[in-house]
Amino acid sequence: MLRANLLAMGFSVLVPSMIFAQSIIQLEEKAYQDSVARMMPSVVRIETFGGTERIGRTLASSGPTSGLVVSEDGYVISSSFNFVRKPSSILVIFSNGEKAAAEIVARDHSRMLTLLKVNTEQKLVVPRAISRGEIEVGQWAIAVGRTFDRAGPNVSIGIVSAVNRIWSKAVQTDAKISPSNYGGPLLDIQGRVIGVLVPLSPQGRGEVAGAEWYDSGIGFAIPLEDIFKQLDELKSGKDLYPGILGVVLEGNNLYNGFAKIAACHPNGPATKAGLKKNDTIIQIDQTPIIRQAQLKHVLGSKYADEQVQLVVRRDNTTFETEVLLTDELDPFEHPFLGVLPVRTLHDQKGVVIRYVYPDSPADHAGLQKGDQLVLFSGEEIIDAESLRKSIAAIEDRENVDLVFERSGQMQNVKLSLGVLPTLIPDVLPVEEIPAWNGREQPDTGVVEIKLPESPSHCFAYIPENYNPQNPAGVVVWFHAPGGFDQEKLIDRWKDSCTARNLILLAPQSQDPSRWQRTEVEFSQKALNQLISRYKVDSTRIVAHGYQAGAAMAYLLGFAHRELVRGIAAVDATIPRLSRPPDNDPFQRLAIYTTVASQSPLEPLINQGIQLLRTMKYPVTVVDQGTSARYLADNEFEEFLRWVDSLDRL
Amino acid sequence: MAMYSKRKKTFELITQLVRKQLNYKFSRFLFLFERWRKEFYRMSWGDIGYWCITVTWCYLVLSSNSIWADTSFSNVIDDVQPKIVKIYGAGGFRGLEPYQSGFLISSQGHIVTAWSYVLDTDELTVTLNNGHRFDAQILGSDPRTEIALLKIEGSDFPCFDLEKTVEVDTGSRILAFSNIFGVATGDESASVLHGCIAARSALAARRGAFVLPYKGPAYILDAMTNNPGAAGGALTDRQGQLAGVLGKELRDAANNTWLNYAIPINELRGAIDDIRTGKIIPRHMDADIKKPKFPTTIEHLGISLVPDILTKTPPFIDKIGIGSLAELAGLRTDDLILYVDEHMVQSCKEFVRELELIDKDDKITLTVRRDQELVTAELQAKSVSPATPQSD
Repeated sequence: MLRANLLAMGFSVLVPSMIFAQSIIQLEEKAYQDSVARMMPSVVRIETFGGTERIGRTLASSGPTSGLVVSEDGYVISSSFNFVRKPSSILVIFSNGEKAAAEIVARDHSRMLTLLKVNTEQKLVVPRAISRGEIEVGQWAIAVGRTFDRAGPNVSIGIVSAVNRIWSKAVQTDAKISPSNYGGPLLDIQGRVIGVLVPLSPQGRGEVAGAEWYDSGIGFAIPLEDIFKQLDELKSGKDLYPGILGVVLEGNNLYNGFAKIAACHPNGPATKAGLKKNDTIIQIDQTPIIRQAQLKHVLGSKYADEQVQLVVRRDNTTFETEVLLTDELDPFEHPFLGVLPVRTLHDQKGVVIRYVYPDSPADHAGLQKGDQLVLFSGEEIIDAESLRKSIAAIEDRENVDLVFERSGQMQNVKLSLGVLPTLIPDVLPVEEIPAWNGREQPDTGVVEIKLPESPSHCFAYIPENYNPQNPAGVVVWFHAPGGFDQEKLIDRWKDSCTARNLILLAPQSQDPSRWQRTEVEFSQKALNQLISRYKVDSTRIVAHGYQAGAAMAYLLGFAHRELVRGIAAVDATIPRLSRPPDNDPFQRLAIYTTVASQSPLEPLINQGIQLLRTMKYPVTVVDQGTSARYLADNEFEEFLRWVDSLDRL
Repeated sequence: MAMYSKRKKTFELITQLVRKQLNYKFSRFLFLFERWRKEFYRMSWGDIGYWCITVTWCYLVLSSNSIWADTSFSNVIDDVQPKIVKIYGAGGFRGLEPYQSGFLISSQGHIVTAWSYVLDTDELTVTLNNGHRFDAQILGSDPRTEIALLKIEGSDFPCFDLEKTVEVDTGSRILAFSNIFGVATGDESASVLHGCIAARSALAARRGAFVLPYKGPAYILDAMTNNPGAAGGALTDRQGQLAGVLGKELRDAANNTWLNYAIPINELRGAIDDIRTGKIIPRHMDADIKKPKFPTTIEHLGISLVPDILTKTPPFIDKIGIGSLAELAGLRTDDLILYVDEHMVQSCKEFVRELELIDKDDKITLTVRRDQELVTAELQAKSVSPATPQSD
């Protein structure tokens, strides 16, 4: 009896399992297909008509794209990449074949999404979203689009590679993400939506940033849960922008440093909320902040006009405050005292004045050459660099207290700071440089700068009187197309370098007839190598060029704010598609440019000057008269004075 | 009766031996077991024997995923690899690699591969999975589907059976076998890629978008097959059955992205058979797209478009002829033509080109945009001569 029972039990388990058992491979395949089928009513095909062909260096596609239904009354979300061409007509095609016209309602500039309203009567199917907390790295992720076959979806299968990417905005996947599925959903294996696929790049900005990484194993999706949160605002037609706090943190060390404020942007949200220099942010909303990166992660997902709760520590007390984030900050205009400091290193603290700008706040306050500045607005002045930082971070420009010493006597003066001048002083005394009596004689004259990984050539001219106790300025010279004659170049610069304590750095383009944008990196590395070998004055590093070489100078200056303090362009415009970065309080940039009325570039140069002026950069314009040429002797002298005055306070 | 008792005796002998052994080694354990057996389950040794056999069998069978269910990928791959060949021929310049892939379809040595510059040589060699090298001859090629048939001398080659091919759906898992980047040489097996079917799409969906003569349906793959050496490789389903031939390196002109695709085996069957039997039927390049002898024209429809002055002038209707087909269908001035039948038109030139492919007497459906609305108009040819466009 028992035997029979056991046998029956055995077979009843065995036989069905033999007939119906499926391998995991087959089960997974069925799961993918079912998940996609469940989602199909919510994925739409978008076709656009008209618009521009090329955006920047990316050729804008004209093919169909995908979108996802987010609201049953006719709202569809898609990637902003799909609308970068500014099409004149947008058509949405549903899975049942119905076609309807659509128009753009609003854009989310932080997450690169565009919301469309579709002109349709039917009630749309809104998909289920998975909550962010449930997303696990390693789980299946299915990317769906509707760009190939009209009737069906196109599918790519991968996994969730990471969560909280791009400063907590996106989920990363290794499914193949490309224009064939931008705007479509990323599903989990149960048919719920993880997010909407968009091209994103941690470095780039703009609608097409990140699109060059298509099908490369890295793709991003904006969590649908987050999109639903912002949906009502987008539906009302309001464009959303990333929220800005308006502070510069100390140290630039994202992963190690505390969130200590080095400066608050004047008129920015932080200043309006009462935050000051040297405050430390220790909590934002519910998240405690220990490293600066954590602050960026929380702010990354915030929009302009959102309130955040900050807990701030000042001296030994903590207080709470609410800050209203903004979408744009006023361009920062550097405050100006009106003096040039003595450069020679000496033991005393403070800054000794070497030159006072006529008609400047310092001049009006009665400061003179030789005065030693001791206290600035209550803060001790250690050297020129610390005074520069204090001036940049000043909260109240109108009432500044200055304590200085003149012939042994301490004096007090009140003044209000002005703005950086654009005129070059007519007479600037050349600084005396004492001789070097040290043991090691540094290499002077023509020195080769060689980079192991690059075949390009670069040389530097070190003036004979260079000595490590007096840091020299650097002029990075980008030659015009056609190469240059090393002998003639050195002849031209030799005396000036010696007189003004400047090092000339001259990289050479690989192709003598033109420069390539990628050579900016090489120039930056060569500059860094020079800085490591010689004592360089970081306030007087200038990128200089003539015609096409000047374009390289602009690119180097814009890309490496941490190094370059001045850009000097002769007969050249800001390179196309290159937007100057925002003015930074601690990384100053001054621009010197020439204009000639008969040069074909004249209107573009003037446009560039206007743009830089609106961004509050100090732009010095030298009129060359009618014909454009390289600097004449007197202009060259003036240019050297400009370089010499870049460490102004 | 005698037989039964003999069996019973043998069985009892065996159990006694087992018991003795167990007793010898695990006397204490055996004592407990005996007590359990007698008191709780009242099992006989026979019962226990049956029970053990049943459990063991169930376990073995289920753990190997049953006899009729699928086998794992590694078994499938072991089965397919011997049918894949590596082809070497012309090339060797940057961007033109001298290798590609193919697969055997008959035991006599017929090989299907992609028709490309690699075959353009007198010294075409084929290396099998086991490393054996053969000189290959080109039997023929089909310019429409861009495949070629090669022949090597020999017999008993492992091969795909063209009678046992499959069609696969979107989302189905696939394996792609090929010698991408020429990584495999000699007796090294070809590279296997795993992925799924991203979409089934007619490559001719956007006319003029591809520079490929083949405009029939294709599998778009979710696997990186767009690489040198992949062309001519085999696409199989998860059970190793042949589904298609991997395509060449191609860029999607509409999307501006690289395309991973394969041509379904059903589309190639006709061409393969013809080449094998030696029938040479000239295949028209545009066999899929038959241009009508008397195509319709915009004058015939009674439409006059705005002057075509831009590179891509949007096709706005400027004038409608009185009494013309367009007027009868309900079209008006300032309508923007978006679709001709199911094909999108982005410019005046595209619209005129689309009309060239439609016969004069066929019905045309135009979808136009009027303000914010979409309007569909059907234009049916009649035998009445069209009116010339006049002002509205």
